[in-house]
Amino acid sequence: MAVLYSEKLLDHFRHPRNYGALTDPDISYESFNPLCGDRIRIEVKIENKSVKDVSFKGDGCAISIASASLLTEIIRNTDPNRISNDQLIAALESDIKPARIQCALLPLEALRAGLKIYQDLH
Amino acid sequence: MDELFTDLEKLAKVEKRVAMATLVGTRGTSPKREGAKMWVGEEGRILGSVTIGGCVDARVIADAETALATSQSRLLQVDLDNEDAWEMGLSCAGSLDVLIEPFDLNTTGNTLIDTYRAVRTAIERGKTVAIVTPLNGRAQRQLVFEDEHTDFDDEVRRIAFDLMRKRRSATVSIGDPPVDMFFEVHGPPPTLIIFGAGHVSMPLVSLAHDLGLKTIVVDGRPRFATRERFPQANELLIGIPSEIAQTLSYNSSTFVVLTAHDYKYDLPVLKVVLPAGAAYVGLLGSKRRGKAIKEFLKDSGMDESLLDRLHVPTGLDIGADTAPEIALSILAEAVAIKSGRSGVSLKKGGASLRESE
Repeated sequence: MAVLYSEKLLDHFRHPRNYGALTDPDISYESFNPLCGDRIRIEVKIENKSVKDVSFKGDGCAISIASASLLTEIIRNTDPNRISNDQLIAALESDIKPARIQCALLPLEALRAGLKIYQDLH
Repeated sequence: MDELFTDLEKLAKVEKRVAMATLVGTRGTSPKREGAKMWVGEEGRILGSVTIGGCVDARVIADAETALATSQSRLLQVDLDNEDAWEMGLSCAGSLDVLIEPFDLNTTGNTLIDTYRAVRTAIERGKTVAIVTPLNGRAQRQLVFEDEHTDFDDEVRRIAFDLMRKRRSATVSIGDPPVDMFFEVHGPPPTLIIFGAGHVSMPLVSLAHDLGLKTIVVDGRPRFATRERFPQANELLIGIPSEIAQTLSYNSSTFVVLTAHDYKYDLPVLKVVLPAGAAYVGLLGSKRRGKAIKEFLKDSGMDESLLDRLHVPTGLDIGADTAPEIALSILAEAVAIKSGRSGVSLKKGGASLRESE
């Protein structure tokens, strides 16, 4: 049987990094898939347009949880606007089928929606 | 049980003295369970019933009036032979023990009102309480709270906790020489928390509502957890299910059922609810799926003793196929577990409530 999910993906699913909540975050945004029920909340502290701290919380499939975990690692100390869809999907190191792209991008959707609100206010 | 507190508060406004009659023992068949109450006011007001009315209640009223006149508690024993039982509308012979106690309602520091107000406060905080009353009249009633240390000896505490878990009131003989103690158990309405708002959850809520359970439905999908789909649910909570799970309270009268049939909810929610002390945790799914879920939880550090609490597949073996049948199967098992019963057919050796006591 072909291996669908990489060791990296499974590791981030089983041991998600930066799981939890921040105290007084600048951004807190929750996105969900209305049909399958994946829910991811991203929280970010911004300093000088860069991510000073980031965390996530949520119940989701292996892809969405691993993606959220990886996202928090990738954007730390960077400009959060710069991460692309392809960059996050590539980080999963797995063959993500078209029907599951939505799962992989759910955390990014939350980050972007939260960033938009933050940037509109600042 | 709300009726008890309402009746007492009503009487406190209009009566100076009242006799409280409590069904403390039954043998054979009786129409009401231990703990049933009737109030007889000095001015003649009557609230509640220890049977379904008729001759027994009439005898209780007469004895209550005597208790009020003499200011003495009394234990009324009503033995019914078969003939009496039929005449009284009871289906078979039995006997009843009714404790009748007179109380002043308008004195400050009233023990009866204070006791029941303390019980009501505890219930409002989600706690179960046992009022322990020695039937020899030589000691005062005392309270055992579900989660608090008391000065009672171990045997009283053990019996109180066992009865609180089963949510049953009963008289038990304790000590040497034995003293009959009545354990009157009160608690919040049993609550069914359902994680997953799918099609099995809909009849689960309806049936639980008919059984008198408070129901809470949790899901991450607003299109599923709707009032239209769950008109009888007490609460619909939408959000991250495992996060919501952490905000809910669990005790010996809480049933938890996970119906999402999706590991993304099942795993994180089980990590919260299995250690939380619910009376029942059931997971919808096959044995194979249950084994995989348990292995995952074990690998993530969950103790075997906690995993043993999980009922998977959830439900009794009644050949359930449709969603309502599955709901029936699940609730039947949950009630059996809470009552400490096997769930086997009564014909094939299961014990009815009365026979076992």
